[in-house]
Amino acid sequence: MAFIEIKNLLKRYGKVVAVNHIDLEVKQGEMLTLLGPSGCGKTTTLRCIAGLEKPEDGDIVIDGRSMLAEGFVQPSDRGIGMVFQNYAVWPHMKVFNNVAYGLKFQKIPKRTIRERSLQVLEMVGLGGLEDRYPGQLSGGQQQRVALARALVRNPKVLLLDEPLSNLDAKLREKMRFEIKSLVRRMGMTAVYVTHDQAEAMVISDRIVVMDSGNVVQIGTAQDIYQTPANRFVADFIGAMNFISGEVLTAAPETDSTYVKTEFNETLLCKTPAGMLLRQGDRVFASIRPEDVEIFSERPEEKSENLIKGTIAHKAYLGNFLFFFVTVNGHTIRVQVAHYIPLEEGADIYISLNPQKCMVLV
Amino acid sequence: MTRGNVSLTAFLWSVIAFLVIYPLSVLVIESFKIAGSTGWGLANYLGFFKDTYYLKTFWNTLVLSTLVLLTTTLFGVPLAYILARYRHRGKTVFTALILLPIVLPAFAGVFAFIIFFGKFGTLNLILMESGLIKAPINFIYGTHGLVFIQSLHLLPFIVLSLSAGFTNIDPAFEEAAEVEGASGFWRFITVTLPLCTPSYLAGAVIVFLWPFTDWLTPLILGKVDFLPSVAYINIAYHFTDMHRKYMGIVAVVVSSVVCIVLFVLARRWVERKKYTGLSKGTTSEGRVIEPGPVIKYGSYLYMLAISFVVLLIPIVLGLSAFSRRWVFEPFPTYWTLDNFRAIFFESPLLIKNSFLFSGIALVFGVVFGLMAAYVIVRTRIWGTNALDFVITLMLAFPGMAVGVSYMLAFWKDIPLATHWIIMPLALFARRLPYFLRMAHSSYLQLDISLEEASEVSGVGKFKTFFYISLPLLIKGVLVGVVMFFIMAFQEISTAIFLYRGGWETLPIGIYLNWHRGMEFGIAAAMAFLMIVITFILLLIISRIGGGIMKAAWGPGPGGKR
Ligand SMILES: Nc1ncnc2c1ncn2[C@@H]1O[C@H](COP(=O)(O)OP(=O)(O)OP(=O)(O)O)[C@@H](O)[C@H]1O
Ligand SMILES: [Mg+2]
Repeated sequence: MAFIEIKNLLKRYGKVVAVNHIDLEVKQGEMLTLLGPSGCGKTTTLRCIAGLEKPEDGDIVIDGRSMLAEGFVQPSDRGIGMVFQNYAVWPHMKVFNNVAYGLKFQKIPKRTIRERSLQVLEMVGLGGLEDRYPGQLSGGQQQRVALARALVRNPKVLLLDEPLSNLDAKLREKMRFEIKSLVRRMGMTAVYVTHDQAEAMVISDRIVVMDSGNVVQIGTAQDIYQTPANRFVADFIGAMNFISGEVLTAAPETDSTYVKTEFNETLLCKTPAGMLLRQGDRVFASIRPEDVEIFSERPEEKSENLIKGTIAHKAYLGNFLFFFVTVNGHTIRVQVAHYIPLEEGADIYISLNPQKCMVLV
Repeated sequence: MTRGNVSLTAFLWSVIAFLVIYPLSVLVIESFKIAGSTGWGLANYLGFFKDTYYLKTFWNTLVLSTLVLLTTTLFGVPLAYILARYRHRGKTVFTALILLPIVLPAFAGVFAFIIFFGKFGTLNLILMESGLIKAPINFIYGTHGLVFIQSLHLLPFIVLSLSAGFTNIDPAFEEAAEVEGASGFWRFITVTLPLCTPSYLAGAVIVFLWPFTDWLTPLILGKVDFLPSVAYINIAYHFTDMHRKYMGIVAVVVSSVVCIVLFVLARRWVERKKYTGLSKGTTSEGRVIEPGPVIKYGSYLYMLAISFVVLLIPIVLGLSAFSRRWVFEPFPTYWTLDNFRAIFFESPLLIKNSFLFSGIALVFGVVFGLMAAYVIVRTRIWGTNALDFVITLMLAFPGMAVGVSYMLAFWKDIPLATHWIIMPLALFARRLPYFLRMAHSSYLQLDISLEEASEVSGVGKFKTFFYISLPLLIKGVLVGVVMFFIMAFQEISTAIFLYRGGWETLPIGIYLNWHRGMEFGIAAAMAFLMIVITFILLLIISRIGGGIMKAAWGPGPGGKR
């Protein structure tokens, strides 16, 4: 059963529709990520869940209790914890008081407050720093204070708004795993906002891809990477070559489609489940750079989806090699995991694996 | 946009409507009444501008404003540059001394300089005794003295705004000019000064408007042909002469209109320029230069000279306060505490009234100011920007206009002026912006997510305000509290029209003592007392405010100084 249910949520700022009638469900104990480009409405959605914004329409149900239908539930009464993008650690309180703050307003014995706060500080790796002021902490430590503060009341729901975006790359990668295991251990239901696809893929059980206020796709990292719902998702998550063309033969009974591309090749592609295509539809034959194979000679065994091209550029990135192949004036990106002695200007063949090449609109 | 916020805004607006808009509209309406009839019309205004005398006062005021602005600019530009750019010892002390006149009551300076620079004042006597001059020189009575006294009082505004400008200029602009070959004075004229124009203008407009509001200094110096002084004399002494009364009211309205219009225009211009002119990303200190020895000692000398003149005010008043029969002698010879005995034992009411009225006004001001700052910064309710605008306008409004309008508005229909509560209410309305601006600007700097973080931690809005917002605002709030109190404490232009027997405050007592030709020493002692109180307040704020903030923020941003 869904722990958080978002139904038909609408939030406007003047004329801007920040969140456009979206529906979402978050399961108990799940880590759900809202992913999308800047301005797509991730923060707004999260703030609506927190009660920091009042939506114009729709409802939010947390653990069976409606937040809007029977009167607006104030953020303080929603039983949530939240980590803000800029941490929002109170500069006038010591680390300990920052963390203990929420507990102090509940009827809890002082000793329990102290034990609980220190325990959470220990958990986030800040043991011994409780008497410092936030001004005396590094960015990463402040981030942990914010996390400890959000966790201390053992909230039913944890909301995190780009909590790692202000950290440097190394620390960011480390914290991803730390947050994930921490939240797992405490068994919380979490909604995580980020615009970093790698972060989303590492941290979440399911990903919600958003675009200008709409939900475009919901699924596991694997679902979204392998079967993106449309061109936007495919482009946003990972890299993708898009070759525009039109449908040549549509065979609904099989899951394959022939696409005639703009450079007059015919490509065999997979049809995503549930997509109905007719002959002549404008589509994109799409393939990820790592699914393209490259050959210096025409290979004998491959006949389908073989295209002749020229290497325009190449880039060596350590763990893989990148080729920009020109085919009739169009560029196709190719990524290979092993070294191939090919130089710029060489004429080559590329093969687009028919099992990986998909039709997108 | 909760219902609570809407009713809060409505409440704030009704306070403003009752205490500002209503009385001021009564004033304006009164100015269109035709004496001796029930008719309306422009007759008063036509009469005013056709009368060569009133026209002359208007012209005189403009000239005085221009002279004061020129003088303050001339002295202020180098001063601001020295304070903002040169690294030198004693910077804090000099800055404090040079800015001191802002918090000193304007009339304190007038009395001190009369004693020091008067016909038989200390300076003339010293010069005559030394044989340098035969007859006393008229240092102070006349337009030149007026320009001198007003300029000294207003110099801090120019220095403050200009040095803020100098500090905020991105050093890259000047460095670019130097790379292009413009160095020293040339760079200053072509790059630095133009970039500072918006900040300069913000201070200049306050300076320029002052002669349109200051009635007291000309009166004491015996030059009364200026708009505010004429208005004061007409209204305060000739209220029964219908013609003069209406001319006075017109003079008040005309000066108010000048003030408001210039103030609004300048603000518009400054706001527009600020966004286009300056680049971001400057260090908090700006560009600091190590001056060469000549410039260094030159600037020390310059700062010393100006500090000396400023220091004359408390020193001369102090000498006068602790002495008796100080006439025809360069320095007092008979020392006594009689003046203070008279103040504390014979008329302790003045002190009590001053504290009582300013204190009540302060409570109103803080409660109102915090609520207003909250709705202006944190809500997007219709009308909050206009609220901000109206309150800010009070900065430019002549105190006299508030006094006269209260006298007209709260007499017959709403007889508030018969109760002493009118005094703190008037002080509250007059000094409204001082607290609000501080609260407002600190609220703007308070990141909203700090408050939101408290709410999601399970703490309601009201407690959040007390445990999170207020402690973080405290620096601005405390400074605002002290500024408000100091400004209310020395208020005279409004109070002079409203006080009745038994409601006199210290400033009114000072004025009356001078006016009735009574003991000058008592007036000086009262002024000295006010200066001491002001000093103590400033000291408290610098102690407590600085200490708390340092502890909480450490030496990082937010804990500047
Ligand atoms: N307080 C506000 N007033 C007006 N418009 C707003 C406000 N907050 C957000 N918006 C608008 O709503 C839309 C969604 O904003 P939101 O902050 O949810 O984006 P986001 O997905 O979190 O982006 P980012 O990754 O940049 O944080 C944007 O177009 C934004 O300009
Ligand atoms: Mg955001």
